[in-house]
Amino acid sequence: MSTPVVPIQRYRWLRRARVVMQLGCLLLFLWLFSKTDYDGSDTIDYAVNLLFRIDPLLALCTMLAARAFILLMAPALVVVGLSLLFGRFFCGWICPLGSLLDGTQSLLKNSRSGHPTLFPSLAATILLAVLVAAALQLPLAGYVDPFSILVRALAQAVYPALHNLAEWFFTFTYQQAPPWVNALTEPLYAFLKAHVLPFQRKYFDLALLSMAVLLAIVSAEAVQRRFFCRNLCPLGALLGWFARLGVTGVAGGTEACGSCRLCSRICRMGAIDEQRHINPNSCILCMDCLVQCPRQVIGLQMQAPGRRGAGLSLSRRRFIGTVLLAGALPPVLGVRRLTAAPNPELIRPPGALAEDAFLQRCVRCAECIQVCIGNGLQPSLLEGGVEGLFAPRLVARTGYCEFNCTLCGQVCPTGAIRVLSLEEKHRSKIGHAWFDKDRCLPYAKGVPCIVCEEHCPTPDKAIRFREVVVVDDSGRDVPLHQPYIVDAFCIGCGICETKCPLPGRAAIFVTSDGEDRHPDRRLPANPGGSSSGYGGY
Amino acid sequence: MINRRRFTRRLVYAAAGMMVPFSPVFVRPSPAAAQKPPELAVVSGPDYPALVREALRLIGGMERFVRPGKSVVVKPNIAWDRPPELAATTHPQVVGTVVELVLAAGAKQVTIFDHTCNEPRRCYVNSGMTELIETLRDRRVRLEHIDRRKFVRTSIPAGRSLREWEIYQDILTADCHINVPIAKHHGLSRLTLGLKNVMGAIGGNRGRLHHGLAQNLADLATVIKPTVTLIDATRILMDNGPQGGRLEDVRRTDTVIASADPVAADAVATTLFGLRPEDIETTVAAARMGLGEMDMSRITVREHRL
Repeated sequence: MSTPVVPIQRYRWLRRARVVMQLGCLLLFLWLFSKTDYDGSDTIDYAVNLLFRIDPLLALCTMLAARAFILLMAPALVVVGLSLLFGRFFCGWICPLGSLLDGTQSLLKNSRSGHPTLFPSLAATILLAVLVAAALQLPLAGYVDPFSILVRALAQAVYPALHNLAEWFFTFTYQQAPPWVNALTEPLYAFLKAHVLPFQRKYFDLALLSMAVLLAIVSAEAVQRRFFCRNLCPLGALLGWFARLGVTGVAGGTEACGSCRLCSRICRMGAIDEQRHINPNSCILCMDCLVQCPRQVIGLQMQAPGRRGAGLSLSRRRFIGTVLLAGALPPVLGVRRLTAAPNPELIRPPGALAEDAFLQRCVRCAECIQVCIGNGLQPSLLEGGVEGLFAPRLVARTGYCEFNCTLCGQVCPTGAIRVLSLEEKHRSKIGHAWFDKDRCLPYAKGVPCIVCEEHCPTPDKAIRFREVVVVDDSGRDVPLHQPYIVDAFCIGCGICETKCPLPGRAAIFVTSDGEDRHPDRRLPANPGGSSSGYGGY
Repeated sequence: MINRRRFTRRLVYAAAGMMVPFSPVFVRPSPAAAQKPPELAVVSGPDYPALVREALRLIGGMERFVRPGKSVVVKPNIAWDRPPELAATTHPQVVGTVVELVLAAGAKQVTIFDHTCNEPRRCYVNSGMTELIETLRDRRVRLEHIDRRKFVRTSIPAGRSLREWEIYQDILTADCHINVPIAKHHGLSRLTLGLKNVMGAIGGNRGRLHHGLAQNLADLATVIKPTVTLIDATRILMDNGPQGGRLEDVRRTDTVIASADPVAADAVATTLFGLRPEDIETTVAAARMGLGEMDMSRITVREHRL
């Protein structure tokens, strides 16, 4: 059908370029990930969330669900444009998850090379399902998007575990090893702490679940090369769809070219069938077949748009079934008790949109959770419903929202958490603190404490105390400070709950009651209290 | 530099010392010191570096406390994410001048740290400490973030309510410890001064120490003994402490107080707030344990206005 447009040496060069590009993008991605942190400045200078902003699947689903054009995600159009020109190159050249999977090849050998893709229409089905759900304002893309899966696992499991491991090892050498060993290990630890490891040890709910999802994807490489990419990835399916509309692709093999079928055996995507037809839906332009074809009949080709045959590879029956199934979800979710009575333990980050709009935009990328310097944000399990899985929430017993920090809004790639100025942040009420007077020492035991008052960060303190004399459990009169909360000043940051020195459950705790993103959940006004505050700071 | 071997040796010596009854390790003050009233300098004026220099000169100069080749810990209060003007943290100019004097006295190494309450990096940056260290540009000076491995469970043999606690190794092993707190309001202890500043050199569940805070701090002071206490009262926080956040609560007092006696330094600083030394339970508890002098009539105060 065709002869190579360029000689094989150039394909070799192209393939090398692809590997270099993969490595470069993976490193760039990891560097951006490590920069998703406070760095001595109140603003983050790099587009650390870039990966999520060039992702057409997340952009499409989020905009569909939010019914708005989200400017932050406009860079996704670049990837769409490039895919129309160069097909599904993104998967083969850029995608960090794809590169990671390629990197595991030498570790996870599989016996199924050359076998056709196991579930050829599954990825497209998933794509259709998330699109339909998004159109019905139920965004599920974050659960299946490769970047969300990857960053979640990195942020909530791999990176903190790396820190854990390093700390364990260097504590061992520090305490047990002779000085000459420490002369080597201590500078190394200092370097790692300064440049590679997270600044502080962090703890995450769902560390195992986040890791398990990524591990499952990596392990599936033992079944089939790029198992996730060809069987499951809805982003890949979407890019494949653009590729079909596009103008360049790989072509060459025909029935007449010979019978070696080397190309279809080595293809990591199963893109080449028995007839040596190369499917643009699946081909990720890795260049392997171009270089290895013994007759050198495979080459890059330009083609008029739309000349690549069939549309979405779903049967009509499956299409209708998927649409119906995805469409049935939102009405069912709407009848849960959670809809009528929002969970008071669900405290969203400052600047989060109203709950529905927030969930419609949140892509579960874990960027906010990664950047949260107080280790306050945790991925939710079912606190916000199944559709809130992995979305961020403040769990104040182990971490709090730092008063002068606005980083979570800055790294959110979709605007689910708005960027707040420091003044807005200081006034942004995400919840409210309450005392458990059966546990609080000055109330329950007649013991002085007020650690909560000490840490309360609002310039006009939201936690104050009354000077009282109480009778303690041995019958003595004890002069004491008993703390109370000034509703107008409490912003729900949760530092009081974090720092409460009681073991176990804190005697002061925050709930989302009174949060200002839902006016109907405002606390009753105190007729005598002042409603303004916050000095000049 | 303190290496592990020297540290261990010192621990062994200290432990051995503690087994000897009535050893000088915990009989303080010694009879000789009791006869000689503690010296204390109160210097005020608008030029903060000059204040620090003069205050230290009046109590004998930095050379009296820091010998050439020694290791020094300078412990400011940088516990909060607040800029210097809000008077929640020690002024960087005060810390900077102390460090310069320490270096001029020939110190081999100066370590600065605090176990912060807010996020450590934010505290170090916004208190002005990070910038200070960058401008000093001296390899002997290190602004160190707390390294959790360095908290050592330390016994407090003279303690009345605390028998042991986790204490940051550097402050125990340094040849010289210069405590540089800021004077400010505190909800529970009324004021936080030098004795309370050791909270930034310990680990563990620090909130727990607030039950019986005064005695706990006095107990800690039997183990963590600053060579010099230099209290930054250039501006003091009158209310909403220890964190502040409002300029209305800050009063400019343009004063520093220096003394080798930690109790005397706290006692005199208390008067800046219109309070008497007896009003501060921590000072009382420490004086009762013989850790220093709180009776104003028995402190030799050298006052100087620049």
